[in-house]
Order: sequence, then C-alpha cells, then structure tokens
Amino acid sequence: MGRYVVRRLLQFIPTVLGTMFLLHYLTSLAVQFSGNPVRALFGDRTPPESVLNALTQRLGYDDPCLDQRGNPCFGLFLNRMEGIFLNFDFGVNLRQREVTDLVADAVPFTLKLVVIAIVFEAVVGIAAGVLAGLRGGSFADYLVKISTVFLISVPIFVLGVLVRQYVGVQFGNTLREQSWVPEVIADGVFSPGFKPDYPWASLVIPGLVLGAISLATTARLTRTSIMENIRADFVRTAKAKGLANKRVIGVHTLRNSLIPVITYLGVDIGGLLGGAVVTETIFNIPGIGRLVTQAARTGESSVVVGVVTMLALVFLIANLLVDILYAVLDPRIRYE
Amino acid sequence: MRGKFLKVAVAATATAMLATACSGGGDSESSESTGKSGGELRVYASEPAFLLPSAGDDEPSLYVIRQLYRGLVKYNAETGAPENDIAESIDSQDQKTWTIKLKDGYTFDNGEKVNADSFIRSWNFAAYGPNAQNNAYFMKRIAGIKEVSSEDPDGEGPQKAPEPKAKELSGLKKVDDLTFTVELSEPFSGFPTIIGYPGFFPMAEACIADHEKCNETPIGNGPYKIEGSWQHNVGITVVRSDSWKGEPGKPDKINYRIFADVDSGYAAFQAGELDVMYTLPPARFKEAKQTYGDRLYEQPGDSLTYVGMPLYVDAFKEKKIRQAISLSIDRQSIIDAVFDGRFTPATGYVAPSFQGARENICQYCKKDVEKAKQLLQEAGGWKGGKLTLWANAGAGHDAWLQAVGDQIKAALGIDYELKVNLQFAEYLETADNRKFTGPFRLGWGPDYPFLETYLSPLYSTGADSNNSTFSNPEFDALLAQGDAADSVEAAIPFYQKAEDILVEELPVIPMWWGKVGAVYSENVDKFVWNSVADADYGQTSLKQN
Repeated sequence: MGRYVVRRLLQFIPTVLGTMFLLHYLTSLAVQFSGNPVRALFGDRTPPESVLNALTQRLGYDDPCLDQRGNPCFGLFLNRMEGIFLNFDFGVNLRQREVTDLVADAVPFTLKLVVIAIVFEAVVGIAAGVLAGLRGGSFADYLVKISTVFLISVPIFVLGVLVRQYVGVQFGNTLREQSWVPEVIADGVFSPGFKPDYPWASLVIPGLVLGAISLATTARLTRTSIMENIRADFVRTAKAKGLANKRVIGVHTLRNSLIPVITYLGVDIGGLLGGAVVTETIFNIPGIGRLVTQAARTGESSVVVGVVTMLALVFLIANLLVDILYAVLDPRIRYE
Repeated sequence: MRGKFLKVAVAATATAMLATACSGGGDSESSESTGKSGGELRVYASEPAFLLPSAGDDEPSLYVIRQLYRGLVKYNAETGAPENDIAESIDSQDQKTWTIKLKDGYTFDNGEKVNADSFIRSWNFAAYGPNAQNNAYFMKRIAGIKEVSSEDPDGEGPQKAPEPKAKELSGLKKVDDLTFTVELSEPFSGFPTIIGYPGFFPMAEACIADHEKCNETPIGNGPYKIEGSWQHNVGITVVRSDSWKGEPGKPDKINYRIFADVDSGYAAFQAGELDVMYTLPPARFKEAKQTYGDRLYEQPGDSLTYVGMPLYVDAFKEKKIRQAISLSIDRQSIIDAVFDGRFTPATGYVAPSFQGARENICQYCKKDVEKAKQLLQEAGGWKGGKLTLWANAGAGHDAWLQAVGDQIKAALGIDYELKVNLQFAEYLETADNRKFTGPFRLGWGPDYPFLETYLSPLYSTGADSNNSTFSNPEFDALLAQGDAADSVEAAIPFYQKAEDILVEELPVIPMWWGKVGAVYSENVDKFVWNSVADADYGQTSLKQN
C-alpha cells in the first residue's frame, strides 16, 4: 500500500510539470498572437511609452520571446518554475496582486460550493439510485429515469440562468414579501447570487445547480449497479443465510454497488471545478472558477498557470484517494 | 471602450467664477438638494483596478475613490462646472503658472493634515515613471514631466529603462503650508477644470510610504472612510467620516457590492438587494424601462464612437475620399437597427452636452449619396481596392461595422471586407504601430469637462491617441491659442475654429454619442446623477422610516 502511494505520488511530478508547460506554452502563444495584455488595460487611450514599458516590465511581459510567434519561451518557463518551486512565487496579475493572494481569497468560496454540490449529489443521487434500483419498473424508477434524463439534457449555463431568474428573483421576491419566512431563507437561500452576509445560505442554490447534472449521473450509476448486484450470487447467498433484509441491502449490495459511484464522484471533483467556472459567473461567486475565466479572458498568464496547476493537483489527489478507497469498499482489491 | 473617464456635461457659468477665484462655498447647495441623511446605500460595482488616486483610472475605481478622497475642485452635479472644494482659490496671470491656496482644517483619516505637501507629494508620485501609475498621463502638462519619466532605449526590449533624471516635478513648488504653485510646460486655460479628476487628489504621507497597503485600506481625505478593508471581488464598505469638513455625504454607509457580470448584478437588483445600478445590461434595457419607469434614469452620454481614417495609407490621403465615405453612412438607421436607438448620431466632434459644443456643424455627417458620388468622382475615383474595415474581436462591433460597409458599398460601389479577428490588445498595438490598412473603429471618452479633451489628444500633431496621424499646423496653432487664452470663455472660439477644420478634413468619421442609463430602487428618496462623475452616491439619499 505504502509503495503504491509513493509510486503514484512520483507519477504526479511529470504530470504536473507537463500540465504547467502546456499552460505556459498556451498562454505564451496567446500573448504572442493577441498582443501585450498590458496595452489593453489602457483601452482607447494610448498610454505614454514610459508608463507602458514600466508596467510591461514589472508584470513580466517584456521578454522578447513573447514577440516571436510560436517560440515556446523556455527561458521564461524556467524562470517561472524557479519562482514557483524555489520561492513559492506565482507572480502577479495585471493589477499587480499576488496570484497566491488571489487564490487564497477565492478558494474558500469554491470549496464551500463544491462541498454543497458533492454532498447534494452523493446523498440525493445515491438515495434516488437505490430507490429506483431496488424496485425496477416501479413509479419511483420511472420518476428517477425521467427526471435524470431531463437534468442531463439541460446545459448548466441554461439551468443556472433559469434558476437565478425564477427561483432566486421571482420566487425569492414572493418569499421576501411574506413576513413569516425567516430572513435566512428569504434573503439568504433564495437569493439570485452569492451574498457576503449569508456566506453559506446564499451558496445553497448555486451548489444545487452545480451538483444537479452530476446528480443525474450518480443516480443512474447507482441504479444500474444495484440492479446488477441484487441478482449476484453473493447477494443470493446472503439472503439464503437468512440475513435481515436491511443487512443484505445495506452491506452486501450497496457496498459493492458503490464502487463505480465512488469512482465517478472522485473524477467528478474535476468536473465540478469546471462547472464552477460557469456557476460562479452566473451566481456571482468570487471563487476560483470566476478567477480563472477572467484571467484567461484578459490573458493573465501567471494567474492561469498558477491556478490551473493547483487545480490539476487537486484533481490528481482526488483520483488517488478514490483508488485507495477501492480497497476499503472491496476487500478483494489489494495494492502491492 | 474600456475605462470611461470623466463623463461630462458643462454649463457656462461657474468655470469663469473659478478662474477668477470666486470662493464659492455653501451657496451651490440649492434647497431642493437637501435629501435626508442616514441609512445604508447598496450599490452595484465591478471590481476596481486600484483604490489609489494615482492609479485608479477605470469607472469602478473612480466610483469608490471619489467618495474616499476629495480634491481641489468638485463638479457641480447639474452643470458639471468645477467649484472649489479643498481649494480656497486657484489663480493665474498667464495661464502657465498657477497659484493654489487651500482651505485650512482638512485632514486625512489618519489625522495627517491636507496641505500643499499632500498635493505635491501625490502628483510627484503619480508622475514618476518607475512608479508606473496609470494616472501619470494626467501630469503631462506640468513642467518637468520629461525629467521624471524616462524612455526605454529599446522599447519593450531586454534593456531596462534608465533611472529618470529627476524624482520630482520641477513645476511644483511649495509656498507655505497651504499654498503651492504649479508651473505648466505650456499655458493651459483649462487647468482649473482638469484638477477635479481623481488623479489629482491628495495622498497621505503614510499612503505613499506603503502604497500597497494603502491600496487595500485607503487613507482618504473625503466624506467617507473605508470600513475594514477592500474585500476583493466581494465588496467595499465605506462609512461617513467624522473628520470631513466639507458638505457631508447623505447615506451613513455606502456598500459597494462587486459583480463580475452585469447580468448577475441586474438579477440582484431585481431581487431588491441593490439600491442603485449605474449601468444596465443592454439586452435588458427595454424590459427595465417598462418595469421601473421613472426610476430608470436616462440621459445623453458623451462617449464618442468613431471610424478612424488611416491617413498614412495613400488611398485615404485625399479629403474628398474621406468626405465621400462619411456621406454614404446613415447613422440613425444603424443605431435603430443594431442598438435599439440607444445612441445619438454625432454631428460634430465635441459632445453636445459640453460647453462650447455646436450641433450640426458637420455637413458630411449625414447621408447624401449624390454628393458622395460626386466627391468621389472629383477625387478621381476609388483606387484603394477592396476596403478593409477594422474592429477588435469579441466586443460586438462587427454588426454595426458590417452595416457601415454595406452602406458604403451601396452608395459608392466600393467592395469591402471586415477584419474583426484581432483581440483588443493586439488591435491596439496595431493602432499604435500604424498598421491599419483601412478604416478602424475606436472610441473616446472625455477626461475632464472641457472641450479641449475631444480635440488635442486625438488630432494634434504627434498626440498620444492620434491614431489617424492627422497633422495640420493651423489646427495645432488654434489649439495653442485656445490653451493660452485668458479664460475658458475666451478659449472656446479658438477650439471651435479648430473643430471647424476637423469637420472639413474628417481625420476620423464621427459616428455617435453613447447614452447612459441607471436604475434605482424604491428605497431611494433622491437619486443624484453628476454630469461629470456619474452616479453620485454621497449625495443620493434614502427614504427614512
């Protein structure tokens, strides 16, 4: 087990370095092809040469390789690696704020959002899947099947905007007119976006939106898996031994059925972070997703490289945890 | 257009009063403007770039800076004319050397006095090249600016720019604690008008000493002071400052809620979470007008959208060609079709709301196909091949530019193509490097409430933002005469004559002026829109229960 983890951790190094180089190359290409992002800060007003040059230099866009299209800028990459790994310096954004500060500001919001989404999709998704799986062909089964198809087929940006308008604004406004509704519900939960006054409550609905699409997949996976296992030999044996139904379902069926679901949930952390890019913009949540979208739009290489590298690490670690969890769920799986 | 700087409308009176040092005071406060004080005003904001007066030059920054800091003059809400704020008097005999006296008793939030040093210090800090402050641009008229900024010998190249020769502007001199003089490189009659721009606001010594900290937790000198510090991307809260001696702000508290996206801001407004929204998502405008009726504030704006002519390309050198192109465009029909009628066609080069602006002076700015054809013929026909129309990508300019191309093609038979694939940064670099091969779209917003802001930065020889490379000695001479005139009134005729040259030469084709729209909630008792500084949160009052 220990050796397995070490081997996996060693594999992180080339993966992370590769990701970083790719990002570095892409953002350098972006600067080479779409111009010095510092210039765009000034818009239609042409800045004095000296100010433009001073800023360009301070922000690290003055390397001549950034003028040569296609040049991978190895020198710049080495400098960046040196900054990140030796000095923990991820550079600054166009407004001269440290990338580490930006991330430190943004992470808590995204974390809360993703936790809400994961809990929602795990609890509701697995429950719905179990319900549907145990009684195939029943009303509950059809309800789960239809509603999940519906959820999967709506893109998250459409769902987000609709929920913001109809749940956050219109239904919320109706609630706010009622005096008996507690403020935390009316103003906090049913708000069209994140509110600093209600740091958890106002994230509930965005979290549900974010989790909704994965929830459908979770429910579907659980349902299929349960249906398969319920007919498996070991379940029949367990029943034949005269075990209580609760134990047969809870321990023998569900535990084995959850393996693909857990895998999916682990991989889905990456997907949720991707979805957060959209959700955070729609619901005005100052998290990582919004940070990265804006940085990509304005060509802030240091922010993109820094943040996406951290996201890649999160993704890798989540996958590692999932693989280790397998052993817990299925004693037959051993890592040597 | 990214940062809209000052937005302005100007009336005639007070500028003259100011130049002759009439120390106005409380008399500008009319009886109607006394809304009730108190309450917390919640306003829409986007993330500011900086909260330092020397660096903040974009709309979201200026909205906060204007409440935290105050400068020598402020602009009248209705007329836009400058009135003394911290300045006691601003005088000059020759429009070149200005003597500024300050009122006594003003302090920063940390107790430091607002005196001559505060201004000199702040302006020097902004101007010094290596500080890379965005508002260095505004110091360019002060004597000694060349010595404090240095040119990089190889542009963006590997060599570092040498240290500037001087650390301080030679044109700023302290006379006594409350008096200082400003010497300009050239006379400029508009000087008392431009110093109301936040780039000229004072900064405390502690602020210069650690400007990064001051950017997060500003040490202001205005009617409001920051509560806590700047919560990036979330919000900024300011509370009424007890140390402020001037006209106090109306709300007890102003809460700037930061949105990354105007649509999510509008949703928050609809849900009753905001009291003022100074802008609206364009697509929601009609709906908002129906829903909010008289709580939607609309007025003509002053940002110009124009189509520049690359005078460095042979085909555009002949002015009759430029006139013919301009005559073949029907501005109103494009505005109606593409923008729901939300702009005003431009008939001159100075925004109609400005003092000294004249309407319908551009005889080539309306559609007249016959005349266009005739002018084209006189010029010897079109020899430039396919006309290339330039705009930056992703900002929705292609729709209207295509309409422009279609109209030119219909009127003059010149085939066209659109070149709209450059990102903004590269597009601007193309402009700076004079690489456009055909007409290009750009915009302009005024920096201060003085019509010169529409003329000299854009069309005088060698000016920074002169992207068409227009150069006309007569035009330059008229601007210089206007700058040196005794007063704003005396200056205006010279600027108008200069504008007359533009409407004949058409270095750029004026297209239209923007319109501004804001909404406010039922909690607002009196909404105040300043014709220069836009929504004035400090003077907007809330209904008190």
